[in-house]
Amino acid sequence: MSPDINGRPSGGLIEPILRVHGATKRFGGLTAVDRVSFEVRPAEIVALIGPNGAGKTTLFSLISGFQPLDEGSVSFQAKDVTNFAPARMAHLGLARSFQIVQVFADLTVHEAVTAAALMRHSMGAALRKADETLALVGLSEKGANVTPELSLQDRKLLEVAKCLATEPKLILLDEVMAGLTMSEAEAVLKVVRRLRSEGMTFVLVEHVMPIVMSIADRIVVMNFGQKIADGSPAEIIEDRFVRDAYFGEDLHA
Amino acid sequence: MRPEFFGIIRSPFLWGVIVLFAVLGQWASPYHLGIATQTMLYIALALAWAIVGGFAGQLSIAHNVFVALGALLASALFLRLGINMWVGLVLCAALSALIGVFFAYLDSKFSLGHLSFALVTLAFGEVGMLIVAGWDFVGGASGLSLPRDQGRLLNFEFGGARGYFWAALALATVYLLINYAILHSRLGFYLRTLRDNEAAAQAVGVYPFRNKAIAMAISAAMTSVAGTLYARFSNFVDPSFLASPTLSIEIILIATIGGLTTPLGPAVAAIVLVPFSELLRGWLGGQLPGLSHIIYGFLIVAVILASPRGLVPLLVKIFRQRGGKDVATISMQKGA
Repeated sequence: MSPDINGRPSGGLIEPILRVHGATKRFGGLTAVDRVSFEVRPAEIVALIGPNGAGKTTLFSLISGFQPLDEGSVSFQAKDVTNFAPARMAHLGLARSFQIVQVFADLTVHEAVTAAALMRHSMGAALRKADETLALVGLSEKGANVTPELSLQDRKLLEVAKCLATEPKLILLDEVMAGLTMSEAEAVLKVVRRLRSEGMTFVLVEHVMPIVMSIADRIVVMNFGQKIADGSPAEIIEDRFVRDAYFGEDLHA
Repeated sequence: MRPEFFGIIRSPFLWGVIVLFAVLGQWASPYHLGIATQTMLYIALALAWAIVGGFAGQLSIAHNVFVALGALLASALFLRLGINMWVGLVLCAALSALIGVFFAYLDSKFSLGHLSFALVTLAFGEVGMLIVAGWDFVGGASGLSLPRDQGRLLNFEFGGARGYFWAALALATVYLLINYAILHSRLGFYLRTLRDNEAAAQAVGVYPFRNKAIAMAISAAMTSVAGTLYARFSNFVDPSFLASPTLSIEIILIATIGGLTTPLGPAVAAIVLVPFSELLRGWLGGQLPGLSHIIYGFLIVAVILASPRGLVPLLVKIFRQRGGKDVATISMQKGA
């Protein structure tokens, strides 16, 4: 399916939904994120890749307000949101998932999604919103289960459902496919693709290269905290720096 | 409000038990009424604490400060300045709520973890005790004696053992309903997400300080009100009991043993533990002082070993096996 059919804006005519400019974060002597700039346009799927420790998750934390930037700025929907509190970012329409996918261990699946839906709805509407969202990701049957009872795949879907229930404009997905088999990952991907076709924007951190190549419109590559490449999957795979830093072993193996 | 809440307030089992208690009070002796009143006040205190300690998962050991405020300051305002105890009750509850918000502020400002929060509140609990002991206005170390109860309701007098029992029963009932209401409302959802994972809660738009501060304020105010009733009930306001952090520990013990996942937990635990402890002391106190505490301690350990999540989850499991649906509904146990 070509992304263009979905009415996705092309070129730089449309205002980016997210703009990260010179984002820098230091931990003691280590610069975890080093002057990273990139933009995400509405209804785009941008993948953030790079070796372990490249600073991808830290960059997510800077964007979503969980860690303050040392330098640089973040703007979301043309508004400067640098160092906004995480809850405020959520209210503005930026949702993020977590790598550790057992976040509300004492809540049932339905309760966890309801809690997220309460951000924009009263209790009655939030309960209905939770029903809808669980149906959308295919978790309706598991509503009464608590998170520890779920399979890994279902936990990842719950993470997506929680993001969706806040009715965001942009979703940051942190390694939602990690640890899944190809067919399990496909179930999650199907949801992501459908949402994008309805206009949702995604930035995802992902390690599984076949998935990244198949789903991303654009790939941002990080290494040692810096952005080393930014382009379409086809461009990235041809990029010599990226090959050296990231694909080298895989391609020569 | 979640529909479950309306199921609970219409539960015939719940109201049956409450009415039964109220009716039994008609025939009980003043001695037994005293124990029953104390039980109801402990239920109220444990339920008030559970809003912070259970729903929000914050181990506050400073709740004795709020009991002391409600008991000692309201009594002192009445004795020294002639301020009606109803007014004192409201003033002390408001002051307690403010102090509660201050604790939540400290927690947020310095990002205290669970252990640090417990230790900081313990320190405040101790400080509260010292302030009370050194402050003559609230009776210092020797405490305060309230004038004899003449049964004038407008003066916060409930007229004898039976009156206090009914007042305490009403208070415990109201607190039980408040707990259910919070649990099934937006605030309850937010507190539970904050307890489970604060970062993930923020990611779905929950503001940590705002919600914890509201919970702390409600809990502190409720604790203070129970303290004021305790003072009037016992006539003699003893700071070494009502202002001591030991009281906080007792409250925490009752709430935790009952189970924190349901408001029924603190209620059931108080009904079992408080009379048991009192009666045990009555039977054994004469010959073997201290033995009652040892037996009480063993009982608590036994309950914790048998059901780490509390007494009520254990009871629900048993009831479920015998097909009691109503109990399961009001206890809100998921797959317990």
